[in-house]
Amino acid sequence: MARMLKTGALALVALVSLLLGSSQAFAGMDRSAIVGLLCGTGSHAVMQGADEMLANLPTASPADLDWARAVVQAFSRRTLRCGGGGVGYIATSGGLIDAARLEASPPVSSVLRSPFPNLRTRAALDRLTAAIAVLNAPAPEARLAAVGILASHSDLIPPALAEAALKRTRNPRVAEALRGLIVLQRLHAPDIGQRVAAIRAMSENATSRTENELKSLRADPVYAANPRVAAALDHGIAHVRLWVQVGAVLSLLYNGVSAGSVLFMSAIGLSIIFGLMGVINLAQGELLMVGAYATYSVQQIIRMIAPGYISLYPVVAIPVVFILTGLLGILIEWTVIRHLYRRPLMTLLATWGISLLLINLVRVFFGTQNLEFDTPPYLTGGVAVVGDFFITWNHLAAIVFAVGAFTATLALLRFTSIGLFIRGVTQNRDMAGCIGISTRRVDMLAFGFGAGLAGLGGLALSPIYNVNPTMGTGFIIDSFMVVVLGGVGSLIGTAVAALGIGLVDVGIEPFYGAVAAKVIALLLIILIIQWRPEGLVAARGRR
Amino acid sequence: MGSGERGPAATAVLIAILLVLVPLMGLHLLGSVGLSVYLVNVVGQVMCFALLAMSVDLMWGGAGVLSLGHGLFFAIGGYLSAMHLLRTAFAKTHVLPDFLQFMGQTRFPAYWHLFDSLPLTLLAILLIPGVVAFVFGFVSFRSRVNGVYFSIITQALTYTAMLLMFRNDTGFGGNNGMTGFHAVAGLPVGGAGAAVLLTTLSTLAVLVALVGGRLLITTRFGRMLVAIRDDEPRLRFLGYDTLWLKLSAWCLSAMVAAVAGALYVPQVGIINPSLLDPSLSLEIAVWVAVGGRGGFYGAIIGAVLVNVVKFWLSAAAPSLWPFVLSLLVLLVVLVLPNGLTDLSNRSRSWMADLGRGLRDSGRRRPERGAG
Repeated sequence: MARMLKTGALALVALVSLLLGSSQAFAGMDRSAIVGLLCGTGSHAVMQGADEMLANLPTASPADLDWARAVVQAFSRRTLRCGGGGVGYIATSGGLIDAARLEASPPVSSVLRSPFPNLRTRAALDRLTAAIAVLNAPAPEARLAAVGILASHSDLIPPALAEAALKRTRNPRVAEALRGLIVLQRLHAPDIGQRVAAIRAMSENATSRTENELKSLRADPVYAANPRVAAALDHGIAHVRLWVQVGAVLSLLYNGVSAGSVLFMSAIGLSIIFGLMGVINLAQGELLMVGAYATYSVQQIIRMIAPGYISLYPVVAIPVVFILTGLLGILIEWTVIRHLYRRPLMTLLATWGISLLLINLVRVFFGTQNLEFDTPPYLTGGVAVVGDFFITWNHLAAIVFAVGAFTATLALLRFTSIGLFIRGVTQNRDMAGCIGISTRRVDMLAFGFGAGLAGLGGLALSPIYNVNPTMGTGFIIDSFMVVVLGGVGSLIGTAVAALGIGLVDVGIEPFYGAVAAKVIALLLIILIIQWRPEGLVAARGRR
Repeated sequence: MGSGERGPAATAVLIAILLVLVPLMGLHLLGSVGLSVYLVNVVGQVMCFALLAMSVDLMWGGAGVLSLGHGLFFAIGGYLSAMHLLRTAFAKTHVLPDFLQFMGQTRFPAYWHLFDSLPLTLLAILLIPGVVAFVFGFVSFRSRVNGVYFSIITQALTYTAMLLMFRNDTGFGGNNGMTGFHAVAGLPVGGAGAAVLLTTLSTLAVLVALVGGRLLITTRFGRMLVAIRDDEPRLRFLGYDTLWLKLSAWCLSAMVAAVAGALYVPQVGIINPSLLDPSLSLEIAVWVAVGGRGGFYGAIIGAVLVNVVKFWLSAAAPSLWPFVLSLLVLLVVLVLPNGLTDLSNRSRSWMADLGRGLRDSGRRRPERGAG
């Protein structure tokens, strides 16, 4: 009897310990208590449950994480069902399962409530989702995104969470983002040493966002109370502000140079032609537009015949666009311009007629809407340099393009025989004709070359500007300003003037608006003409 | 000017036509002639364009200076006349114009009160464009900006003005411009009375400008202008100060354009920055080129012809108009460098050539200096 009792007691102990043991293994989270809170009435209880779960996440076992994810997901997707007495279920296609144990539940007779996440609890659930994802999401991108969400609520996240996540990742990008998060959190750490270190670490990454972040710390009572924190913070803010300002100046320069590059591309052809023939080509902006449309056509053709190489279309388009617009220029010269020599004002009208014709032809064939370009991956995004200064690839491409065009034109003018002829005819047309240069042929080729350069300008513009039939009209006046300022027929003058006008435009715009920038640029040019009627770099020659 | 001996004859014909037109308008007032209000209005608008073309011709045909910015002066006149009309409308209705309400104003800015008075407005219509033209012309002509340079800088000027007026905070209605005029000289806008009045005034203005212009070019001043057109450096070497000559012609031309704009705006009932679009200013040059430069009658004929075609095509086939315009430009520029006067001269020379046995029939008429 006694033996039987003993065995029974042992069995009971074993049973109890087995039962207890099974729950002991998951002591990290009191699942049913959390479910009870989440199923509680009122958002206060739900928030409490969410906080409880969040606080336990850093030490949670993988199984607990899976459970937490399932419950939070069920809440967000409104598949959580709540019975009386704080018992929760998850509705699945296969019926109800118990939310605390994730096991199939016996049939429930009572009426189930499905809690609705409101604005406050929705934010808490999102935080939870991110906090869980940062610990156990399989893809590094998902973890990175989760760190981003957590960083914007860094004060609500338990400090241990980021460290726990750091231990569980091997991806360097995720690890760096997590370290940033840790720094962000330590800004509010109770330990002064940690705070100061965090402020130092934070000010290393000088952007206007960190500047605002650091400035907001001044409202913290510790800033006023503790001179060490105050000194570190003031020093950090000064450091960040300095680099942010350096970055702002650099990005102003960068944007100015890239705007100038585009101007240069559209003005260079104008300048050569004006210097050579004394003719303003009012259709220059439209040649730019035709170049952009030719780029678009190349893109569409490649998409049709070799979709795998679609990202290479800008490279393929370079020769195509140059030749197409160059031929168009030669056609214009041959049919119209050459009959109008010595009548520059009539040429002005004629080229305006051509520009009108080109705009309306394109309108008929392509429509008036903006074209959609596939920006290839190597032209999207950029790299952060200092402060808020980003080197964006598409603007860099425009700059590189303009530098290439400048070098090529310079080489053509300096080192080839056609370049020699162009320079000769520019300086003295009659004399050049007398010594046997075919001035008509030189004019035609130069016009074609200028048109081709404008077309390449359109290609360089296509990832930056809106491409539509009237895009060229705004360029002709700016380009002419460049030519007037730089000096007719002078390549270097054109480059300097394009950069100058680009910088003035970009420099004035943020303070007084784009229109004021145009007005000031025009006034400046009128003033400069008073002082140097020939432009900044006067071309030699007798005309 | 150019075809000097034919000028007076053509002018006489034009004066005769205009003299017939003006009473016709008046007859309509009595309700006896079949011109609809719409047509009267169109005639009035075309007359304003003719006046505008004459102002450009004074500079282009006269001094050889092509302005691609006369839209600016036209628009200044228009805006000033619109301001007067809005003030008189306000005196009647006491409702602030929409654009001022939109800007959050509760009343007119102080300087608008100047435009209550018609004489002051008329003075402003002459004075303000004159001053603008003087300042711009002085800095340009003084530094010997001419030819294509000058044309493009005038274009840049109106382009910049357009960008400026497109902004709402410039204070002149921005994008939407000014509209909501109530009455012109007590006659309701859009009614037959106002249309006849304005058309008559515009026709009279063209007439006065034509007679005045023809007289002007026979004076010493006019002959000096022609000399500037043909060889400005030589004139300078001979000791003439061409700066003030050009400048006076330029200011006069701007004032005439402003008068045209002031007459035009009440007829269309709205003004917005589209008048400052460089393409309008280029179009004016096309009218003059089509009609033939120099002597003013060509400008009138060109403006009337092109605009009648434009009014007709804009209603019949709007998408065709830009093509017609661009081909017209190329045709005139390539085949008829002196516009329609070429056509008449050529047909005459063909007649003569037929008599002389078709000698020289292919030779082109010598071109004028300011081509």
